[in-house]
Amino acid sequence: MLKLTTGSGHDVRPHSNVDTAQLMTAQEQTHQQWEEALTFVALKRDKLAYAELFNYFAPRLRAFGMKMFGNEQQALEMVQDTMLNVWKKAALFDATKGCASTWIYTIARNVRFDMLRKKQSRKDDISADDLWLNGEYPEPESEDASAQWDIQLLSEKLAPHFNLLPPAQRDVMERVYLQEKTHQEVSDELAIPLGTVKSRIRLALDRLREALDGTRN
Amino acid sequence: MAHAIKFHPSTALLEQFAEGYLTADVSLALAAHIDLCPHCQQLSQDITNDLAGQFVEQRVTTNSTDWDAMLNSVLAQTEQTSMKPIANEVTSSNALQSIMVSQREFKLPRALQRLSASHGKWLHLGGIATATLPTSSDHHVSLLYISKGTEVPQHTHLGLEMTLVLSGKIVDENGEYHAGDLLINSPDDTHTPRTLPDEDCLCLSVLSAPLQFKKGLTRLLNPLQQFFF
Repeated sequence: MLKLTTGSGHDVRPHSNVDTAQLMTAQEQTHQQWEEALTFVALKRDKLAYAELFNYFAPRLRAFGMKMFGNEQQALEMVQDTMLNVWKKAALFDATKGCASTWIYTIARNVRFDMLRKKQSRKDDISADDLWLNGEYPEPESEDASAQWDIQLLSEKLAPHFNLLPPAQRDVMERVYLQEKTHQEVSDELAIPLGTVKSRIRLALDRLREALDGTRN
Repeated sequence: MAHAIKFHPSTALLEQFAEGYLTADVSLALAAHIDLCPHCQQLSQDITNDLAGQFVEQRVTTNSTDWDAMLNSVLAQTEQTSMKPIANEVTSSNALQSIMVSQREFKLPRALQRLSASHGKWLHLGGIATATLPTSSDHHVSLLYISKGTEVPQHTHLGLEMTLVLSGKIVDENGEYHAGDLLINSPDDTHTPRTLPDEDCLCLSVLSAPLQFKKGLTRLLNPLQQFFF
């Protein structure tokens, strides 16, 4: 498994807030820097901009390759192929759709995948281009559509657990979430204190959260 | 409204797919599922962004690599070849080719387009037809067409069986599967998939070992493994 050293943001040693803030700005700046460099390579075939990209990414690509191949020669072959592709495909990079490092990462992943296939001397076989779309999938028609989809998915997952709630909790939950009544209305209908309505909801939500966590893969 | 996809790969599987760690054939089933499933498209994108973040943040040790030499060598290569920048390739789905089986025409997801252009001959057995995709790997990758009202004899799996519904609907003891649904059966799972009288079904099937048929005369099918493998 790929087990990468996480960045300072997730380091074991706590950082002060000031450090984190500075780190964030620095990261944003570098993101922008790589996007601009790629654009220069694409439009002007700018070698200086390319050298900047190379100097930053090549050592990272080598480390990435070493993890998979465990051998220097192949790792460096992967670095070279990846960086050559960065030059060739720079025009395909679209900054509105993702950041430069993600784009370079996916190129490296694809080069590595195809190298492993070639090593096993596969002919007319599945290639990285079959597997990973070059670019991004179109956005779902509207936010609403995807939100609705998420709600449907969640409802389907929740339904069986909902039915297993203790009757008193389920009753309150049905009134609040399915019949969309206010807590006060439910309190009046069931002739129970408002505080009891609220605590039954909290207990039920806790149970559901636990149930969902438990079924995760 | 299109039927929402209900059977998805686990997040762990999607992560391994995004890292490029799965075998090509298993990856192909996932890629085709993702083509059909907006939810998993988003999830894969998020996973990839996260992996790329780790890739950038990894600690880099100094080593003896002569980076300048490599940079010059790459730049030299870019000059040798005419190196026209690659124009935006057509990735849209307008020009998708379709396949024909039993007088039915089906459109395939992007991931299967190139391979399906050179699929093997359709082999027919009862209401079932199968054609292999040209993948020389440990698993067996094929298209599986099941006519209306047809039952695939009950079988068990000696290995992993992945079935992606590409079109139509199939049902088994555990539920109903529509276009985009991905079923993963492990060894020991036994099931009897069938189509309903009003709808046929086209699937992508990835098998790591032959199916083994369980009941009566269908056991005679076991020697015909190449048909279901």
